[in-house]
Amino acid sequence: MKKLIIAAFLLAGFAPAFAQEQTPKLYTLPSPYDRYTTYLVTARLTSAIPIGSFKNDYIDKASFENYSISLEWVLQNSFSVGGEIGYSYFKQRLPRALYTSGDQTISAIQTRTVSQYPIQAFVNYHFLPKSSAIQPYVQISAGGSILDYTVYYGSLADQKQKIRPTYGVGVGSKFLFKKDGSFGADVRVKYAGTSFKYDYLTSGISSLNTSIGLFYRWW
Amino acid sequence: MLKKASFLIIFAAIWLTSCTKDPINDLTDPDSQVFITNHDKSIDFKQFKTFSIADSVVVVEDDRSGTALTDMDKQILSTVITKMQSLGYTYVAASKKPDVGLTVARITNNYLNVVSTPYSSYYGGYYGGYGYGYPSYYSYYQTSESYWSVSMLDLKNANTATKTLNVIWDAQIRGDGLGNTDYFSEMIDSIFGQSTYLKIN
Repeated sequence: MKKLIIAAFLLAGFAPAFAQEQTPKLYTLPSPYDRYTTYLVTARLTSAIPIGSFKNDYIDKASFENYSISLEWVLQNSFSVGGEIGYSYFKQRLPRALYTSGDQTISAIQTRTVSQYPIQAFVNYHFLPKSSAIQPYVQISAGGSILDYTVYYGSLADQKQKIRPTYGVGVGSKFLFKKDGSFGADVRVKYAGTSFKYDYLTSGISSLNTSIGLFYRWW
Repeated sequence: MLKKASFLIIFAAIWLTSCTKDPINDLTDPDSQVFITNHDKSIDFKQFKTFSIADSVVVVEDDRSGTALTDMDKQILSTVITKMQSLGYTYVAASKKPDVGLTVARITNNYLNVVSTPYSSYYGGYYGGYGYGYPSYYSYYQTSESYWSVSMLDLKNANTATKTLNVIWDAQIRGDGLGNTDYFSEMIDSIFGQSTYLKIN
């Protein structure tokens, strides 16, 4: 019991000292996030809604199998630049139907898929200072997408793999969990387009992506 | 710090590429089946009245071929006969000069595939930062696909000069569960059903 009390006293003495170290009161320096170019890594889960001709001609079903991770350099002005690598997957099953081409008729259950690994560079413009708990931003991005287009007729597949240019425009916001903290949430709505023409796809793949993410920042 | 960050990206890339998908593994056997038909559009099938069918199934595997008449083969032949009769054709023996002749074949194609597995330089590093001097390895795997093929030959208008019989209609049944006799009636219904021009009654 005695030992416990001593331990408690020791801890009581140590804890405030530790807390003091965390928040130096001597100088009121701005946060390091304001003073330096800092790093920020974000992992996102995305829901993607097909739009345009991609939706009309190929897949109209929303996809929830989209992930990405990004790394950015938060500059001392209002901008940040970075790279994002992701994975997106669309799939739609159609009931058995007849497909005719020339003299040939095919009866099959079609499974339409598109998977992409987009690798993009992006620029963000932030509207509020870094000390703000809510940091809305706009984003433009461009890069390449490693793309796999496969239409299955039953168990037979028609596949096309390509690397195609991809681009995006988005708006979003970062939400810090704690003032000057390292962790936060990220919400983003983004238009994503990839130029690709093959078979059913006449003018590319476009979707409206809404993502929620978690970020960690450090300097 | 930057180094750590780029490692994260590489790690993420490897993790992301590792999840390959099989989007059709949830298809049942009948759902996986594909029925492909072709026909000669210049032919009016109403000119035909009688048909015959080869009394065994042609078995083709790669470059080899032969004939067989297993229970499964008998069943698919009789299913085809019943279906042709329901479309208005009269079944006659091959010696009775039928207007059209049908053949059923089981075709198996084997493919040899090659993949190369280059060793990644990321394996290096453990032994003092040297990369591994592996050559690219090739591995081989064989895939095989079997399918049914049903063809209709024009015996009435045979080209006597070149001694050829024109294939005026043919069908392929591909997919899974093709050896399951429970599916035969549905399979044969499908290939004839999507070829409405064959109906003469």
